[in-house]
Amino acid sequence: MSEFRVTLSPALGGRAAVSRKGISVEAQPEGTLLHLLVDPTMGDAVRLAADLMAAGLELRPLTTGQWFAVGDTALAHADLAALSATLKPQADIVDQSHGRVRIIVKGKMAARVLSKGTAVDLDIAVFPVGHATTTLFGHISAHVTRIGEDAFELIVLRGFAESLWDELAQMSLEFS
Amino acid sequence: MASLVTCPHCGKRPKEEFTVKGAALTRPAVDAAQDVWFDYVYLRDNPRGAYQEYWHHTSGCRRWLVVTRDTATHEIFQCHDAAERGEVTA
Amino acid sequence: MTPYRLSSGGLIDRSSPLSFSFDGQRLNGFVGDSLASALLANGRLLVGRSFKYHRPRGILTAGAAEPNALMTIGRDGRTEPNTRATMQELYQGLEAKSQNCWPSLDFDIGSVNGLLSPFLSAGFYYKTFMWPAGLWERFYEPVIRRAAGLGKATYQADPDGYEKIWAHCDLLVVGAGATGLAAALAAGRAGAKVILADEHSRAGGGLLSETAAVSGNSASDFLAQTLAELASLPNVTIMPRTTVFGWYDGNVFGAVERVQKHVEIPATHLPVERMWRIAAKQALLATGAEERPLVFGGNDIPGVMLAGAMRSYLNRYGVAPGRRVAIVTNNDSAYALAGDLEKAGIVPVAIIDGRADARIEGYTGKARMIRGGYVSDAHGGKALSSISIWQNGHTEKLDVDALAMSGGFSPIIHLACHRGGKPQWSDEKSAFMAPDGLNGLALAGACAGIDGLAACLEDGAAKGLALAAVLGFDGHAPTLPEISGDIVNAAPAAFKIIPGVRGKAFVDYQNDVHRKDLGLAVREGYGHVELAKRYTTSGMATDQGKLSNVNAIAILAEARGISPAQVGTTTFRPFYTPVSFGALTGVSHGKHFQPVRKSPLHDWAKKNGATFVETGLWYRSAWFQRSGETGWRESVDREVKNARINAGLCDVSMLGKIEITGKDAAEFLNRVYCNAFLKLPVGKARYGLMLREDGMIYDDGTTSRLEENRYFMTTTTAYAAGVMNHLEFCAQALWPDLDVRLASVTDQWAQMAIVGPKARTILERIVDADISNEAFPFLGAAEVSLFGGQVHGRLFRISFSGELAYELAVPASYGEAVADAFMEAGSAHGIQPYGVEALSVLRIEKGHVTHNEINGTVVPSDLGFGKMVSASKADFIGKRMLAREGLHSSERLQLVGVVPIDPATSFRSGSHILAKGAEATLENDQGYVTSSCYSPHVGSAIGLALVRRGPERHGEEVMIWNGLRGEFTPGRLVSPVFFDPTNEKLHI
Ligand SMILES: [Zn+2]
Repeated sequence: MSEFRVTLSPALGGRAAVSRKGISVEAQPEGTLLHLLVDPTMGDAVRLAADLMAAGLELRPLTTGQWFAVGDTALAHADLAALSATLKPQADIVDQSHGRVRIIVKGKMAARVLSKGTAVDLDIAVFPVGHATTTLFGHISAHVTRIGEDAFELIVLRGFAESLWDELAQMSLEFS
Repeated sequence: MASLVTCPHCGKRPKEEFTVKGAALTRPAVDAAQDVWFDYVYLRDNPRGAYQEYWHHTSGCRRWLVVTRDTATHEIFQCHDAAERGEVTA
Repeated sequence: MTPYRLSSGGLIDRSSPLSFSFDGQRLNGFVGDSLASALLANGRLLVGRSFKYHRPRGILTAGAAEPNALMTIGRDGRTEPNTRATMQELYQGLEAKSQNCWPSLDFDIGSVNGLLSPFLSAGFYYKTFMWPAGLWERFYEPVIRRAAGLGKATYQADPDGYEKIWAHCDLLVVGAGATGLAAALAAGRAGAKVILADEHSRAGGGLLSETAAVSGNSASDFLAQTLAELASLPNVTIMPRTTVFGWYDGNVFGAVERVQKHVEIPATHLPVERMWRIAAKQALLATGAEERPLVFGGNDIPGVMLAGAMRSYLNRYGVAPGRRVAIVTNNDSAYALAGDLEKAGIVPVAIIDGRADARIEGYTGKARMIRGGYVSDAHGGKALSSISIWQNGHTEKLDVDALAMSGGFSPIIHLACHRGGKPQWSDEKSAFMAPDGLNGLALAGACAGIDGLAACLEDGAAKGLALAAVLGFDGHAPTLPEISGDIVNAAPAAFKIIPGVRGKAFVDYQNDVHRKDLGLAVREGYGHVELAKRYTTSGMATDQGKLSNVNAIAILAEARGISPAQVGTTTFRPFYTPVSFGALTGVSHGKHFQPVRKSPLHDWAKKNGATFVETGLWYRSAWFQRSGETGWRESVDREVKNARINAGLCDVSMLGKIEITGKDAAEFLNRVYCNAFLKLPVGKARYGLMLREDGMIYDDGTTSRLEENRYFMTTTTAYAAGVMNHLEFCAQALWPDLDVRLASVTDQWAQMAIVGPKARTILERIVDADISNEAFPFLGAAEVSLFGGQVHGRLFRISFSGELAYELAVPASYGEAVADAFMEAGSAHGIQPYGVEALSVLRIEKGHVTHNEINGTVVPSDLGFGKMVSASKADFIGKRMLAREGLHSSERLQLVGVVPIDPATSFRSGSHILAKGAEATLENDQGYVTSSCYSPHVGSAIGLALVRRGPERHGEEVMIWNGLRGEFTPGRLVSPVFFDPTNEKLHI
């Protein structure tokens, strides 16, 4: 055994949830976030979804031939290798569990606050639950999924997580 | 201010989400004549009216698009994924 | 109650007084007042001085077009100049100051400009200040700026917040007057998502000043009822205090909401202004029409006001304009004012109507009518005292203290022209109308040339309904209310040049352009509308000629003997009214100015004493100062030496990292790099050069083959985003048939370089695998486990410094712990962190290039990479153009090292290389220094340079010349590799 005990330093480790009237912003645990690159000739989200659900992960559409699979707990190295093997040759997994940070914005005012950053129309009629897209949020690119009527998950590059957090805190100030 | 580009994958998005590369020209064969390559690398038309360009939806789906727009009115006539072949006309 | 305030009527709350100050004087108004109405109620007719002649000016309008009553509001950081008093809501404690006056509003020395006015005519600046050019900056401009100019901005920081927000709707209705309300209601009832925006403090537009009855009730009752229904519709949003200022591509509208411009101390959690970008499927302008002034002498004397404005002050604000009021008009609308004045007990002393046959249905007042007459001049200084009335060649003088004027109406079509459409002259309407063929934008009511309350309500409802129907919302035509007591213009006002004028007759109040200036412009050959505008500055003030353009065009037409249609008009451009820089900036200032990108090793670097430097958005550790070190150079020298003697640890997480998979990944790499990649074995890294199609080097980095079809590419920090875009272009646009898949993994990995003779010894305590030279030789690449399998990372044996070196990538959140472990494991071996400055010194000593050298002008052979370029590959990006003859000339600037002859001297990057003894001229320029530093290894300054035939000239003495600073340093060209030229250290 090694003499060293390593610990994690999550990007938003020190951030307490922002909670205001009708809006809260909270960092998700840095669990699992896999980037799936699908063989363009074999892309079939249905089969992928079954394998991923078995691993406790949810699918988020990303772009042509690409998905994110997210989960709140970290996948062990061996389990990840096994999942990788299962998905081949249909999809390659690129582990982004540390490269992306998930932030949940929820509450009645969530869509309004997010509208200060993005030009995407978040009206539930055109952006229903489960819908996802990548957009510029202020100056930061982020992936947005509607995970509930009044709840959104943002996925952002780890290096920008603090900045995006600060922006969200600023933009929700209206409801303090 | 703003103007919206309709990405075939993402819908209407502000131009700030995109990166423009320039004229959507077909890359010549590697053994094409030197003047063909000169045209491709250096020479550009500057039409008033319809113009085809490569736009990258950098802060969105990260797909390269071929955008046909009017250089005078900014109207966008067409916008499709660059991987769809046969629509780029030099 | 002040002498001008009526004892009843209006929409002010007489039980809620407010105190405010104007030029230091304390005054009182009421809730519901605008600053302008409160000033008028206090008898403050003189509110400012004009721009050029410093003439006394009063309040002319009751709205956004106000050219005169521009004031500075607030104090300290909240000082806001050029605020239109007509648009400013009164609030308790408001502080207003007049502008353009010195030493005081009442006594202004600048008004002698009026006496000098023959010298201040149109084109004066052009004629006078042409020569000598040198005097312009030093003398003329400062003098003019002091004398003219508008209010002064503060130098103090704005303490308030601003923000931006997007909104999306089916129908945007601009203007909440009768037309806009009817449209919003019709579309809202049909189910469309409607936004109704209005620039005033409350919705209602003209209804707020209307005395006509609607279905037997007052207009304000009708308004309240309509607003209540709109508020009950969840799909309708009413946005008062919101000026829609621009129409942009994609049917996006810019609007600024004044959230807290009507309070003394803004709440800190709210912005003071919020900028909206409204993406509307359809939009309807219901912006109304602007009343035009009449161009007679002294039409700017305080007390002269537009008739509609006077009606607003009377009916909405309960302010009497004066005791002896006259009305001058060329159309019917002003008679509504006459009727309202009489109801308030002020019978106009005269109504002067230019039409000899004027017969107004609905006006039954007692005022004296002067038909076929004109006001040729108004008289008075700081307040109106009398007017001269011209009728059939005779002039009559009449004492008055207020004069209302109406020169007809101009539809407010600005927004409709923001996307390039030109206003169209209509003889029928005697006005410029919106261009035809607009897409996504329609006009209704007065801005479409429709007059009268009933017609506006009908048109608004019809167009609101029609636009909703276009979007698939079906509604029913509403029952329209009965209107009584409204005076509707039977015919539009015709233009007529007013006869008998003696005094200055102003066309553009804000820029002090009068009628004679336009005549002069025509006589001097600047009669074209675009030239006249610039020659006279008419229409170029902050009001963009809202009141003046049509009058100016009519005068130009008359002077040139053509029709207004032939004169044409200038284009309207955003913004409709001025928008503050704060609103345009939003939250993007201070710490929100731009995002910060932090390395996963940021906190590790910080606790080890790093000084950070911003490179792009990244914060990189530049050096790590130790106690006792006095300057950055001392720290950097130590870090460099220590890395060469013991070991150093450097954060390289910000290198671009791209994972490439897919069956054709190898073929893809082979096409994007100029060197061969097809046969790179699994477990190996290779240095690669990417070219642009013109053959110049684009970027460099290493790419490792982790599995048969999985590669890990690194790019330079600066080009990380660009390379990813480029690879996506190649994969998607150039070769969509290749199965290649790309993922940016820059942020997934904390990457650290472990450098120096002790690197392996230290690393052996971190990674589990055998990393001996035999097991893991130079350019090895492998997935490794750390600390007995606690963490999994990737190890690369690559070296930027020339030392025995590794780069270890670990999942980002483990970065800090792993770096800590390195410091602990290496403490006995002298490990020290080093920053980008030391990294740079180490690489210059080794002769490695960065974007200092890869500057867009170099091909591989210029940097000594000529042999890397594959001759056998069928194709790669840049292959064809790289074959151009000139790119292989030995006369090109090529990489070489440079040192000073005297080791005590140094030189800067950017300095030029001259042959020894050559004169310091550009003709003799032979190249330039791209990188330089002090090298502890060499013991002097060293540099890399791109020099003509550089590689052939090792040993030659040259002059290093910095022409900007006048520095000359004798130097010598040498090999660019100063450290370990035989690469022994890489393989130990
Ligand atoms: Zn897109």
